[in-house]
Amino acid sequence: MKIGLIGQPNAGKSTLFNSVAGYKSATSNLPGTTVNYTKSKVRINGDVFEIIDFPGTYSLSATNDAEAEVRNYLIESHFDLIIDVIDASQMGRSLPLTLELMELNFPLIVVLNMFDEAQRKGIEIDTGKLSEILGIPVQTTIASKNIGVKELFLTAKSLIKKQHPGKAKKILCQRDVEEVIEELEQYLNRNYTRKTDYPSRFLAIKLLEDDDYFLKIVSSGNGVKISKKVAELQKKMVKLRGKPQDSVLAMERHAIAMDIYDQVVKIGSPRRDWREKLDNIVMHKVFGYLILVSVLVAFFYIIFVLGSFVEDFLLSGFDILDAWLASQMNPSGFVFQFVKSFIWGISGGIAIVLPYLIPFLIGLTILEDIGYLPRVAYLMDAFMHRIGLHGTSIIPAVLGYGCNVPAVMATRILTSRRDKIISAVISSMIPCSARSIVIFGLVAHYLGPMWAFAIYVLNIFVIALTGKILSALMPEVSPGMVMEVPSYRLPSYTVVKKKTWFRIKEFVVVAWPILIIGSIVLGLLEYFQVDQLINQALSPLTLLLGLPIVVGTTLIFGVLRKELSLIMLTQALGTTQVLTVMSTNQILTFTIFITFYIPCVATMAVLSRELDRKWMLTTVGITLGIATVLSWVTKLLGNVFG
Amino acid sequence: MILKAWDKSMNFAEEKPLKSLIKIRPRKSAKIIRIAGGKNARLILGQLGIGVGSEVKVLRNAPFAGPILLENSGTSVAIGRGIAAKIIVEEI
Repeated sequence: MKIGLIGQPNAGKSTLFNSVAGYKSATSNLPGTTVNYTKSKVRINGDVFEIIDFPGTYSLSATNDAEAEVRNYLIESHFDLIIDVIDASQMGRSLPLTLELMELNFPLIVVLNMFDEAQRKGIEIDTGKLSEILGIPVQTTIASKNIGVKELFLTAKSLIKKQHPGKAKKILCQRDVEEVIEELEQYLNRNYTRKTDYPSRFLAIKLLEDDDYFLKIVSSGNGVKISKKVAELQKKMVKLRGKPQDSVLAMERHAIAMDIYDQVVKIGSPRRDWREKLDNIVMHKVFGYLILVSVLVAFFYIIFVLGSFVEDFLLSGFDILDAWLASQMNPSGFVFQFVKSFIWGISGGIAIVLPYLIPFLIGLTILEDIGYLPRVAYLMDAFMHRIGLHGTSIIPAVLGYGCNVPAVMATRILTSRRDKIISAVISSMIPCSARSIVIFGLVAHYLGPMWAFAIYVLNIFVIALTGKILSALMPEVSPGMVMEVPSYRLPSYTVVKKKTWFRIKEFVVVAWPILIIGSIVLGLLEYFQVDQLINQALSPLTLLLGLPIVVGTTLIFGVLRKELSLIMLTQALGTTQVLTVMSTNQILTFTIFITFYIPCVATMAVLSRELDRKWMLTTVGITLGIATVLSWVTKLLGNVFG
Repeated sequence: MILKAWDKSMNFAEEKPLKSLIKIRPRKSAKIIRIAGGKNARLILGQLGIGVGSEVKVLRNAPFAGPILLENSGTSVAIGRGIAAKIIVEEI
């Protein structure tokens, strides 16, 4: 049984998906978190369901790449059932998509998710009546607490097995417009002979909406005649409604949705609480920015204090282990080299990466789930305009602090290709959690947290400048931001826990083995003295930057995973007491180079895929140039000021 | 008949003072008369239920050329100034 989860952004599709499939799909209180599909086979009451979690889409008229993909995949792959996930507190706005889905003639269930949130807002929904009007089953769930989910899949099963009478009713537009739709539908039935996956009424509606995708499909079939008829009927509709043809039917659906909404919803007095008041401060023209800065400073400071404490504690433990090993074996022998490298890889993960990574990810998860990020987009819109983008671009950028890979993928929510390119390039320059670990582990640890914070500020400044230059090179008016600002949600403990674990698992399963292998490879290179060749080859760069020649290899390894440079560094230097062999100035220079140079392999791959090879190589070139110049300047400044 | 009634209401609308959405102060409501932006802008707004005829309430009108925060049937939507400038409304 193949089931698709569809719904508008931020309706909780992924939360619902995760509650049945375990944590596999990223969730947050941020429209557009899911940009690719997540599939999972799950067993519920002995039945196996194949569930596909779709990216959020407001409608089946695609306004960006992510939405276009949803629509095509939805229509072309044959689902046994579609579950339309609706944020119960936003039902009026969500129903237009439901109406569109009903036109596709798939078995359909409407799920009113976050039912508790709706009740809190004083929204009372007569689900029975809604089901009666639409002709399809309506279920309520609170996916974050796993309430109603099992019942949902029982209904799904009975619908697929045809034990349930639910069938979408035909919901008609107002008569004048309806006549136009019917005229085109009949015309298509007579004149459009090619076999399609689309029901004729759906096709008629999309053509009348002036949807480029469907116009192209039809005109490539039996062409001009149909296009002419479409244009004629569009004109008729414009006359009827006095609106551009592309908005008549969307607004018609909106009107029907509001009508249904009025029939099934009773709005009591909402329970007023902190949420309504909070925005007055958080989005305030002065306090908003103060809060933004304080949140960021507090965020990084807390991570530093926690991480640093644990790191010191654990490293001293591994130092003792190291010394013990050296006393047990021949310190210049092959076995010792091998074992030591292996332990270094392990201890790097436990003692250097995880102490910072865990609080970092918990913090990021909380910020995402509360719903603070769209407020940041609102506050930063004017700033983003100054670098030629708009507020929406802040979302990929912020996701970049977690990992650049989803950040680059998230640029799909942008409408114009030019915005997408600029956002993707600058998102790949954001210090991701791996790079943050280098910043925390080296700069914050040895120079103090304010220096680490300064690197982040410098990074934002450089990114702004890069954005500005890129948009000056690609002059085009950015279409501007239109973004829903969701209400605050208290992050649920289980979701935060699962999500953090989901992301840490990525480190443990993917990155850590690379760290350990990398560490062993470096150990072997050292043993056979091949590392000297690499270091020699890179010596023009390391000498220019005034760094110890031995760090050369770490820069190469850093391309694989950024954390690797940090762990390799201690190994290449032969000590975890970095200060004994590097000056603070060198540490700063090294970290700045690591922070800015070439995105890691995974990011390069995703840049190639989302943009193209040319842009990937351009990004590599740009970042390498920036990193070299910045770290060189750091070295010079360090020499001047000591 | 319908055609005529619609024309009439259109004419009626033209007589009222029309403003751009960015001119509406916070806590005031406005009815959208025309969206002068391109097709894509209309589509994106339409997806959020904002279109000709919608009544929206301005919640915030940010300084420094920041976006406008609207409330439309219970949803908060932030709209960049560029697009907002092209939304022609009448204050209600």
